Amino acid sequence: MADFRLKAETAGQSSGLLERAKTGDLEAFDQLMRLHEKQVLGTALRLVGNLEDAQDAAQEAFLRLYKSLNRLPDILEIKPWLYRVTVNVCNDMHRARRRRGWEPLSGPDPVSSQPDPELAWVHQERGRLVEMALKTLPEKERAAVVLRDMQGLSTREVAEILGSSEVTVRSQISVARGKLKKFTDRYLRKRI
Amino acid sequence: MNDPDWEQDDAEFEKNAAAMREVTIPPAAFAAVRQRVLSEMQAKKRRAAWWTWSAVAAAACVAMVCVAYLAPGPERPRALVARKDPPRIEWTARPVAQRVHHKSSGRLLRGRAPVRKTEPLAVVKMLTDDPNVIIIWLVDQKGDSL
Repeated sequence: MADFRLKAETAGQSSGLLERAKTGDLEAFDQLMRLHEKQVLGTALRLVGNLEDAQDAAQEAFLRLYKSLNRLPDILEIKPWLYRVTVNVCNDMHRARRRRGWEPLSGPDPVSSQPDPELAWVHQERGRLVEMALKTLPEKERAAVVLRDMQGLSTREVAEILGSSEVTVRSQISVARGKLKKFTDRYLRKRI
Repeated sequence: MNDPDWEQDDAEFEKNAAAMREVTIPPAAFAAVRQRVLSEMQAKKRRAAWWTWSAVAAAACVAMVCVAYLAPGPERPRALVARKDPPRIEWTARPVAQRVHHKSSGRLLRGRAPVRKTEPLAVVKMLTDDPNVIIIWLVDQKGDSL
């Protein structure tokens, strides 16, 4: 399970970075981005479903972070704050896309880390299938399932990020898993 | 939760989630995001600096204009006004009534009232810059204009 907040030693290093970034030091901000880029881009990719949009969402999340640096009193607050902002940015993108009524072309595909090419292909296909299934979920359910099952946060942490109760998050995750299962079954039946 | 269907579903879902987790994002994608963010921030900084300097320059200009307007400057040259001599006004002297005394009583006799001449009018002719415009000012002896 991924740690929700930064570990103490990381926090100690990062607090200096935060202070420097607050004074407008771009190098320090670059370091902060490096610390959180996997979290932000990974979450965005799972929420929006393609790398190009995920990069846009990550860029927006980091720009919002830069604007709000002075409002973040503690480095420990950055991680949950970034999760929250990333989820919001991705939701905004989904809504904008729905309003415009177009689906952007998918960018370059992320690669699998499996060394065996066959296994890598299976993983990639599975990943693509989940990605498609995730797109069919409502915003809140998708965010809950991505943060809980893919980012590995606890239910309490997900509830904190999404501003819901733990009971609500549990219910959303349960419903979302059911829908994902139904989608993948239907998809595989069609393919077979 | 020992239902085999549920367990199968969970295992299936776990596989899917694992597949999603294992998807690695190419490092170039991270670098591209960082690059875009930093260049956007630099552009914002440049814009902010430009606006700051513009505001400072504008304030300086306003201050200079205010100083120039409010500070007592060198005395302005006065417009030279062609001074025209006032027109000569000729007054006709009024004849004084001759006093006639009675020979014996010495009483002052009212003499014949002197014929009062028509009071002459002074005509003041004023030339203006425009040769076609001449102001003619008629003034009686008391100085009243007619």
